[in-house]
Amino acid sequence: MTDRSKILVVDDEPQLTRVLRTGLTSRGYDVRAAADGQAGFEAFNDWHPDLVITDLAMPNVDGLELCRRLRAVSQVPIIVLSAKGEEKTKVEALDLGADDFVTKPFGIDELLARVRASLRRAKTPPVNEATQTSLDSGDFHVDLESREITVRGKPIHLTPKEFDLLVYFIRHSGKVLTHRTLLAALWGGNYVEQNEYLRVFVGNLRKKIEPDAAPRYILTEPWIGYRFEPDPAT
Amino acid sequence: MNLALATLPDLFYSIASKSTYNTHMRRSVLDQRWAGYAVGALSVVALTLLLKIVGSHVNAATVSLALLLNVLFIATRWGSLPALLTSILAMLCFNFFFLPPFGTFTIAATDNWIALLAFLVTAVTAGQLSASARRRAEEAETGRREIERLYAELRDAFERASHAEALRQSEKLKSALLDAVTHDLRTPLTSIKASITTLLDEARDEPPVALDRDSRVEMMEVIDEESDRLNRFINGLIELARIEAGELQLRRRWGAVDEIISTALSRAEPITRNHRVELEVEKELPGVRVDERAVSEVVYTLVDNAAKYSAKGSTIRITARRAGEEMIEMGVADEGPGIPSGLRERVFDKFFRATRDGDVTTHKPTGTGMGLAIAKGIVEAHEGRIWIESGYDGKGTRVLFTLPIGDEDVIDDIHYSEAKVSAQ
Repeated sequence: MTDRSKILVVDDEPQLTRVLRTGLTSRGYDVRAAADGQAGFEAFNDWHPDLVITDLAMPNVDGLELCRRLRAVSQVPIIVLSAKGEEKTKVEALDLGADDFVTKPFGIDELLARVRASLRRAKTPPVNEATQTSLDSGDFHVDLESREITVRGKPIHLTPKEFDLLVYFIRHSGKVLTHRTLLAALWGGNYVEQNEYLRVFVGNLRKKIEPDAAPRYILTEPWIGYRFEPDPAT
Repeated sequence: MNLALATLPDLFYSIASKSTYNTHMRRSVLDQRWAGYAVGALSVVALTLLLKIVGSHVNAATVSLALLLNVLFIATRWGSLPALLTSILAMLCFNFFFLPPFGTFTIAATDNWIALLAFLVTAVTAGQLSASARRRAEEAETGRREIERLYAELRDAFERASHAEALRQSEKLKSALLDAVTHDLRTPLTSIKASITTLLDEARDEPPVALDRDSRVEMMEVIDEESDRLNRFINGLIELARIEAGELQLRRRWGAVDEIISTALSRAEPITRNHRVELEVEKELPGVRVDERAVSEVVYTLVDNAAKYSAKGSTIRITARRAGEEMIEMGVADEGPGIPSGLRERVFDKFFRATRDGDVTTHKPTGTGMGLAIAKGIVEAHEGRIWIESGYDGKGTRVLFTLPIGDEDVIDDIHYSEAKVSAQ
């Protein structure tokens, strides 16, 4: 594979940037590194990478601030590197617009899988949601006009809210969605603290679409939110 | 057997409570005022009988004094009213049995009238006085107990509050330390894991990996360096724990300052290769009686920090001079960004890093956050002092420390002296 996608790695640990640079370059990516958020933002403006991988704790401009600045000017996919115990910062980064996260220490394959998923999502051509009549994603087919959904070819019956939730999940496949993001999108800004709403609806949705007790499509990201995987086989 | 042992304290407790209960009951019965009247009346009767039995040997004055004493006793124990009753009874008995004509309440001689009246007045007055003294003593005692109780309550409340606060502080500190330690352990681990999984993918021939020889070497170098970093961190933790537990064993012996510095510098050579190192050691410095290995470690840490936090090509200046009669002062100065005066104390706290936790702006790699804490422990164990100043011309950082020269009468040729010290 010779995907020459450009990846910007932002981390204040020189050893880690060395490893990521070599590891990602060996997979055919074009890699640049920056030592903090400020340098990262400058490199972004300069080089226009296809994806940004950033650490959260950095001197000067940290990962959160970098997410904020990047989202103000671009929709570039952002993957944050975080440590266990940094859940609060992680959620904040995702709410600020980061697409995914990888928890340290990680194997290179896990990072590569997230990189591929984020790049794939970013490359899907944008659609005009207002004029779109159907959605196809992995095992799911949605007729937006008749509000009918089939999973693995079988029609399923959903309540209007469940339908909206599933469509939102499908439209943001592969992306980590925080509780807050989902609540704001489906119920509105006044409900962002009502996690129990989400638990109930996700529970019902899982009963209707998941083939087994262990979820394949709607995956829980503990303390963070959910990730929708429309095509678990890949 | 166990059962018997277990129940023994209960038994003691139950006996103790019963005995307390009985004492309490007795006291509360005797404390009743009617008991005062009864004892007062009975004591007068008993005393009169006793005096009557030995009647031939006592005169009226003795009788009146004995009865008076009885009134005083009743007043002190039961207060004024039982004392008044006792006085009147005593007066009647005195008159009836001991003033002629005996067996009647009539009094023949005028002076006996006076004696009787004097007895009555003395008995009542003394009774009232001692009763009021008793009342005041009781009131004072109650007040004292109340103050004691309030004081104890206040102290308990204060202790509870400060204990809770100390716990909160200690929990906060623990969690901050844990965060720092896990961060420092996880960071090298992340580089190692990412390198090793890249190498593994290639070894397993999982496409698409295209690692050339240089990249493979680089990965292995990272693994090597990061393993060393983990090891350094763990050694630092052990050293620090030893210093904090007061288990730093100093092997003091006479040594030369320039030798200590050159040992540290040759060890630091790989890290100072890109810096200019200047040495200023005062001529004819006396020897110092220190643990050379430990002091050399301090110098190494300071040089390592200086190299880490200053630009390549800049100067690191190491100085040693005599400071007064009993001390040697050593210093390491760099031309880096310097440490703001507000952080100059805190950099000696363990896991504190000015670059990460403070506001010094630099992209340089951070250390373990333990070097200066260990250096401080070693210097203070030698009864020296360590502090930070601005570098030369107000630029950069200068870390200085003092060491006592040592008692020249001590000779170390025979054996090492060992001192158990507490550094914190």
